[in-house]
Amino acid sequence: MHLLGVRHHGPGSARAVVRALEEVQPTAVLVELPADCEPALRWVADPHLVPPVALLGTVAGQPGRAAFLPFAEFSPEWQAFRWAVAHGAALRAVDLPLQHSLAHEPGDDGELLLADRAVADPLAELAAAAGDPDAERWWEDVVEHRGEGLAAFAAVAEAMAAVRGGWEAATTREAQREAYMRKVLRATLADGHKRIVVVCGAWHVPALAAPLPSAAVDARTLRGLPKVKVGVSWVPWTHRRLATVTGYGAGVRSPGWYAHVFRHPGDDGVARWFAGAARLLREHGMSASPDHLIAATRSADALAALRGRPRAGLEEMLDAADTVMAGSGGMALIHDQLVVGDAIGDVPDDAPQVPLARDLAAQQRSARLSPAAETKTVELDLRTPGGRTRSVLLHRVAALGVPWGTLTDGRGSSGTFRETWTVRWEPELAVRVIELSAHGTTVENAATSRLLERAAAASALADLVAVLDAALLADLPAVVQPVVTRLEAQAAHDPDVVQVMDALGPLARAQRYGDVRGTDASSLRRMFDGMVVRVVAGAVIACRSLDDDAAAVMVERLAATQAALGLVDHPARRSEWPAVMAIVCERADVHGLVQGRACRLLHDGGVWPRAKVGARLSRALAGGTPPAAGAAFVEGFLAGSGTVLVHDRELLEVVDGWVSTLAADAFVATAPLLRRTFGGFDPAERRQLGRLLGHHELDRSSGFGADVDPARAAAALLTVRQMLGAPA
Amino acid sequence: MNQPTVLRPHAEVEFAHELAALAATDTRERPPSWHLSPWAVVTYLMGGELADGTVISPKYIGSRRLMEIAVATLATDRALLLLGVPGTAKTWVSEHLAAAISGDSTLLVQGTAGTAEEQLRYGWNYARLLAEGPSAAALVPSPIQRAMERGAIARVEELTRMPGDVQDSLVTVLSEKSLPVPELGTEVQAVPGFNVIATANDRDRGVNDLSAALRRRFNTVVLPLPADVDEEVRIVQRRVAELGTALRLPDVPAGADEILRVVTIFRELRSGATEDGRISLKVPSGSLSTAEAISVVVGGAALAAHFGDGTLSAADVAAGITGAVVKDPVHDGVAWREYLEAVVRDRPGWGDFYEACRAL
Repeated sequence: MHLLGVRHHGPGSARAVVRALEEVQPTAVLVELPADCEPALRWVADPHLVPPVALLGTVAGQPGRAAFLPFAEFSPEWQAFRWAVAHGAALRAVDLPLQHSLAHEPGDDGELLLADRAVADPLAELAAAAGDPDAERWWEDVVEHRGEGLAAFAAVAEAMAAVRGGWEAATTREAQREAYMRKVLRATLADGHKRIVVVCGAWHVPALAAPLPSAAVDARTLRGLPKVKVGVSWVPWTHRRLATVTGYGAGVRSPGWYAHVFRHPGDDGVARWFAGAARLLREHGMSASPDHLIAATRSADALAALRGRPRAGLEEMLDAADTVMAGSGGMALIHDQLVVGDAIGDVPDDAPQVPLARDLAAQQRSARLSPAAETKTVELDLRTPGGRTRSVLLHRVAALGVPWGTLTDGRGSSGTFRETWTVRWEPELAVRVIELSAHGTTVENAATSRLLERAAAASALADLVAVLDAALLADLPAVVQPVVTRLEAQAAHDPDVVQVMDALGPLARAQRYGDVRGTDASSLRRMFDGMVVRVVAGAVIACRSLDDDAAAVMVERLAATQAALGLVDHPARRSEWPAVMAIVCERADVHGLVQGRACRLLHDGGVWPRAKVGARLSRALAGGTPPAAGAAFVEGFLAGSGTVLVHDRELLEVVDGWVSTLAADAFVATAPLLRRTFGGFDPAERRQLGRLLGHHELDRSSGFGADVDPARAAAALLTVRQMLGAPA
Repeated sequence: MNQPTVLRPHAEVEFAHELAALAATDTRERPPSWHLSPWAVVTYLMGGELADGTVISPKYIGSRRLMEIAVATLATDRALLLLGVPGTAKTWVSEHLAAAISGDSTLLVQGTAGTAEEQLRYGWNYARLLAEGPSAAALVPSPIQRAMERGAIARVEELTRMPGDVQDSLVTVLSEKSLPVPELGTEVQAVPGFNVIATANDRDRGVNDLSAALRRRFNTVVLPLPADVDEEVRIVQRRVAELGTALRLPDVPAGADEILRVVTIFRELRSGATEDGRISLKVPSGSLSTAEAISVVVGGAALAAHFGDGTLSAADVAAGITGAVVKDPVHDGVAWREYLEAVVRDRPGWGDFYEACRAL
């Protein structure tokens, strides 16, 4: 019997395991893996099962409780599976079954179970004893880069025995696991296997080494363990998921690098890696010549020698690449593509379905939104529980990144309680869901994890606001607080007040309509207040010195900001914001368009009396002002609608008087601008303006047609009166 | 022989005892012509205690990783380019590297807008050239040429201040390791151990960017600004003490509080936010480097010693700080006044400093 103590996901361990297996030629291979995963191992022979993949154990009826056990090509366990299957050796999973371990911590989602394994990291102790603070690097130097087969494993076993000082386990959980391992080991021995290899975490080696404690002791440890029903399936995994800190993959910071080390253990590995890096940089339009490669390879080797390491590790590779190719901006790319990597695993079609897909199907059934290939339009009334459920599901699936439904008509014109979706389920979406299964086992927690990932990656304020918006719409409260916290920090440091202004609109809507949807939006208010302060402080500066295009964007932004303040009835709407608008309207270095819109906003808000607005307008259109600036002011002031002129004869006269006094060439110069402004009005408005200017008389029925039913109009009028608070 | 006192001795002279101790205990393999092994060079830069009890003072306070990369680069015969904003100890590191590796930090070409090719390659002794015609004896070797002949480290300071065509005359030297002399039909070939350390800063105005051909021949190490207040305070304290001794300033108590204050002010203005991240600030146009913090404190110490009561007080550093911050009277003046009013005035224990700055 040979005990191969490995580091999980250690490429050197994986190579050493293969070498040891070849040397021993065992008839039985035992692997540290929950015993109830054993049936799933038959898929290992299937060529369509391509790592990185993970075994996913879920508790029946509680998809939130699950454990992921990922394997990459460079995982020693995976290599042991492959070897056993290829050589016809018996393959046994020896760890405590998931049906016991998942029964342990009710209401927990596997993290605890996995943390348990992370705690059993003895390397730190050994490395510290050897005087190296970095356990992973130490192990890499001492074991992974050497890989001497059985002799190395003997040394590992000896070292672990020294660290543990016997077979006794540190925690009850560990005791149960190791008792189970011994139980399977005894059974395998009883089956008559003579050459047995056990592949397990280095920590467990002393617990399995002869002499074993008596079977009765272990049977007592394992008696009466709680039990749940567990389903096990294979799911595709990715290198990126391996690199994230959660789950079984904890600590694999550089899966792409490990895969490289596993595939190219020889001396040419360093040069090969740089060649890959160079190709990557060239693909992205950066320069990386063979000369760079030579220099980088030599630098890496020199650094390894200087640091007294047997061969260049990842640290040396990155340092060398950084110093040789510095300034090309490629380091982030190298880290993303080569150190972590894009590899995605594959799972055979006939393997059991993953929980996320099952959960989605169940929710689609209960929301009565069956996935169909044809395009369909769904109208949702958010005031009904059924409408809300469907809306939340559609928003959650969208947050997952599965483009099933698109919101075609949101809260714009058709009111705040109505949503119109266009849904279409393409077959590819099913694949997408399986890919996403690594994010969680239910639609809710997978969507939460995806949004948190997006929030972590977001650098612009607008992206964060979009995530927050999505989280509120999808009713994912676990996302809200972290995003709000990041938003606060981001808003405080964002030098560009324009971004903050853009964020106000969605945040105001989120606050205002959070109640409609029953989500708690109270924490948003404080942040919103803080952002308003910054906007008020910075808006004037942001409005200065804009060109035509920038001014056109800015007027919309001002209107949106005012609307946002109005939506939540913010106090700044009555004092601070109008004061800012007044400054903007009066400043000489502000574009005419922006001045005009500021004037209009003051007019609409009732801040400036009509006489003052008229005075400002006539000043903008007075003789001294260049006609083009006057036209821009008018365009900004009218804001795409002539209603204000129809109802305010004085303002109309100011504009009319200005146009009539323009000199011939000035008129020719401003005509296109005026044409653009007035051309955008409703035909009815233009007709009314024409009448007013022609006959000085308003056509009262205009805009409604001749066939108005007075009885029905009266009913509507009553409602309007009530809304305005006027006596009926 | 009794050496005449100089204002600033070269690194290899000032730290001769450390270099000798390192050489004596260094048993590791040395690259050709190197006076120390790469490992010992890193120890010389980062400081430490040797087996024989000699204490090596740290020359560079910061990341050991960067120094390892720099030394490994020089060991591979690729040239080293130290890049960074002004005052990040580029020149300092380059001098000490040359001193530790070749025992000589004087093979130096200072880059300016007026640097000509002769200073990088070779010049002529014109009297001899006219009298005897072109000959090896009429050649005036540049520091680079001398370094090539001796297998030593040559230093090029402020590489990017030289005109681009002058910079490019380094390309042959770095790739062929030879310096052709077409007038004589000969060449100077570099002896093993020759290498070049160049420094350049990426913030100054009027900088000539390196050509791609030249850049490719350098490994680049970017020296960062000190990572945190403590590190920066340590650097300032160490240098202030060294300079104080060299300048024979009367002993002024270290004034750790004042140093911390200077460093804090510089860091906050440089990053555009207070250390607690609550108040954002205008960033002045000056570089506000650690080197400037050092000169502010040294200047303050001189003031205190000669005109003050002998202890470094807020008033002694106030003038120096204002001068260091306000490089452009309009923009920097606003930034500084804002900083005084928004941050300094309300900070507990900074009242004396606020008053001193206002009184200027």
